Amino acid sequence: MAEIVAAALTAHAPLITGKPDVSRPEQRDRLYAGFHELRRRLAAARPDLLVMFVNDHLQNFAYDNLPAFCVGLAGSYEAPSPGGAGLMRLTPRTLRGHPEWAMALLEAGLAAGIDFAYSHDIESWDEMSVPLSFLLPEATIPVVTVYTNCAAPPLPLPRRCLEVGAFVGEFVRGRAAPPRVALIATGGLSHWVGTPETGRINPDWDHWALDHIARGDVAPLARLTWEEIERDGGNGGQEIRNWIALLGAVPGWKGEVLAYEPVAEWITGCATVWVHP
Amino acid sequence: MIVISYALNKLLTAIARQHQMKERLTEEDMAGHALSDAERTALSAGDIGRLYELGANPYLIRRVFRRRFPI
Repeated sequence: MAEIVAAALTAHAPLITGKPDVSRPEQRDRLYAGFHELRRRLAAARPDLLVMFVNDHLQNFAYDNLPAFCVGLAGSYEAPSPGGAGLMRLTPRTLRGHPEWAMALLEAGLAAGIDFAYSHDIESWDEMSVPLSFLLPEATIPVVTVYTNCAAPPLPLPRRCLEVGAFVGEFVRGRAAPPRVALIATGGLSHWVGTPETGRINPDWDHWALDHIARGDVAPLARLTWEEIERDGGNGGQEIRNWIALLGAVPGWKGEVLAYEPVAEWITGCATVWVHP
Repeated sequence: MIVISYALNKLLTAIARQHQMKERLTEEDMAGHALSDAERTALSAGDIGRLYELGANPYLIRRVFRRRFPI
């Protein structure tokens, strides 16, 4: 049976690649070093498939159709899409999907009572493209995406994200192939985007979350309410759902925080975390 | 209770998907959209705080009215 050979949590703020020059060099260098170390470890784990827990920023799902959880069945992804590329200053490139594996996940989820939506055509923005520009510089490994609504409330409960992640983890381990699977969740940590508090970062909340992840103590994160996250982590902090889903897939695993930087110029508390047994 | 204005978000989504940034919206931008008077006033003024209160999604506010933000 397949095994989960690597797991990582990362920030995906578009300005990480879009405006590296405006940040303080020492902060940027420490965060980039965290991404580079994740890349080294991920490559050493030799995965055959990347499963990504990510969220839309209303480029795919607008207010006419808003799935809580959506499996990407795309055969390929433009990462980023040409429209999203400007802000991230990344050259669009094509990443392979794995529609057969994704379809099997979708069918198994629905059969088990996980009411995934699905999409054959995903526009990829920073949620995939920024972290993968570091972690997958050569588009050698296929990617499957699980999108969770983190940006257009009302949102699914963090507890439910943990359950969905647990299902994905069991599904991965229950398949014969591909044999070596890596999980990556992106987003967060605290940031306020487009609200009256835009630019605020809350390092105390970020450290609270990272400390729990370091201990493998995910239950307090899964108990968070939308209101608590909105207050302490901001509307951008709602993306912690992606991280919680990943942690649900690897019960008992702990996080090693490779970098954490509250980067004011990127209006985001940015982290890179290696998750291990 | 989360406040959502579908009319605001529909309009802002359409503008955001054209990758346009605005200081304020014109009557032409808003034509054909079922907006309240308060929504029209806020869009015409580029009043990002008021748009948030009225139920515009903050990611869309940020994308369309990016230049209104000090950071």
